[in-house]
Amino acid sequence: MCLAVPMRIVSITGHLASCEAKGVHRDVSLTLLADQAVVVGDHILVHVGYAIQTISAADACSTWDLFDEISLALDQAGA
Amino acid sequence: MPDAAAWLERIRALTLPHPVRVLNVCGGHERTIGMAGLRGVLPDNVVLIPGPGCPVCICPEEDILSAIQLALVPGVIFVAFGDMLRVPANVAKSEIRSLVEARAQGADVRPIASPADAVAIARANPNRQVAFFVAGFETTAAPVAAMLHEGLPDNLSLLLSARRTWPAVALLLNSEAAGFEGLIAPGHVATIMGPEEWRFVVDRHGIPTAIAGFTAGSILAALYSVLRQIAEKRPFLDNCYSAFVRPAGNRRAQDCLADQFDDIDAAWRGIGTIPASGFALKPHWAGHDARLLFPNHLEGVRRRVGDMPPGCDCARVVMGRISPVECRLYGKACTPRTPVGPCMVSDEGACRIWWANGQRPDTADAARQ
Repeated sequence: MCLAVPMRIVSITGHLASCEAKGVHRDVSLTLLADQAVVVGDHILVHVGYAIQTISAADACSTWDLFDEISLALDQAGA
Repeated sequence: MPDAAAWLERIRALTLPHPVRVLNVCGGHERTIGMAGLRGVLPDNVVLIPGPGCPVCICPEEDILSAIQLALVPGVIFVAFGDMLRVPANVAKSEIRSLVEARAQGADVRPIASPADAVAIARANPNRQVAFFVAGFETTAAPVAAMLHEGLPDNLSLLLSARRTWPAVALLLNSEAAGFEGLIAPGHVATIMGPEEWRFVVDRHGIPTAIAGFTAGSILAALYSVLRQIAEKRPFLDNCYSAFVRPAGNRRAQDCLADQFDDIDAAWRGIGTIPASGFALKPHWAGHDARLLFPNHLEGVRRRVGDMPPGCDCARVVMGRISPVECRLYGKACTPRTPVGPCMVSDEGACRIWWANGQRPDTADAARQ
């Protein structure tokens, strides 16, 4: 429940950002980043639909690799 | 940044003065530890212990029973994170034991992935009451606080059962035998709350502490830091997830939590009340507090402390006192298909994670290595 996913911001409308990660699109609230200057193209760490921190593109990529490993392992475990 | 193999080499090169037990307090960490098979490659004198890192597992039975009662109120739509739906309460088999069973009896119970889903469901059903069961640690409490900040539909109420992580570690450290000599602190809790929340572990208890991310490399980096601190007898608070965990954490998120919630003493399932470990809605949200909105339906809910099912050792697993395979029910009466205790239900639960990684009761000796 505490795993967060990096996503890239595609567009921003008010406090909502349309985000993308590995072909998956989600609307994400930027309320918890209201005191940071967040712009289209930035990477953010998303937990349960809310951005909890801004992150670099490189750190986003390394975290995506981790999720690939987890989903592969879950598939193999039949979970 | 060295990779996992390089960190492992550094760990193996250390000379430790005594066997060391290192506690982690995050289901995400435990999942990576299990998936990467880290326990099998560490030196014999280093033991990794899964601790209180599963919010589903420590959600008090009183709240599970309240959730079931609320879900059964005619006309109510009851929403919760998916993990909560199968958690069994310790009641007679003839009674409704989980939200899934409530749904089978006709309750409108819906799993959600985000607080925003709860808002959307409430907006789409303006003539019905929607109750949102909020279990989770700070990583979930902050988004829920953000949801409140953004504004709630009139027909959306909250059954709040969120908890803070550090008070459970403080409880362990204040007990007679803490049971660990080093701590790997949770990366995403610290992303929000900042690293300083964990300084008391070092300053008050002299226990080496490192905040870790979720790759095997990041966890081994934190473990190396903790072990090296022990070897050099120089405990400090290390941040091995600094790309995400800023020195002050996310201040906006902390402000949001402080604006919407009060800190309260709160019950942890099987463990008891832990001071200042829970969140309560601020008084101005009374009109959205499910406990206040549906008092008649919650009157009969029992309040007990030792509320794990008979024979279930989840409470001792959660507190790192025993490993999952040491529970008498693990893999016998209790499996993911027929879970007895919450640790076998949740994806964050140590028992479920150990089972998914192939630990069976007859391999218990190997698991402890």
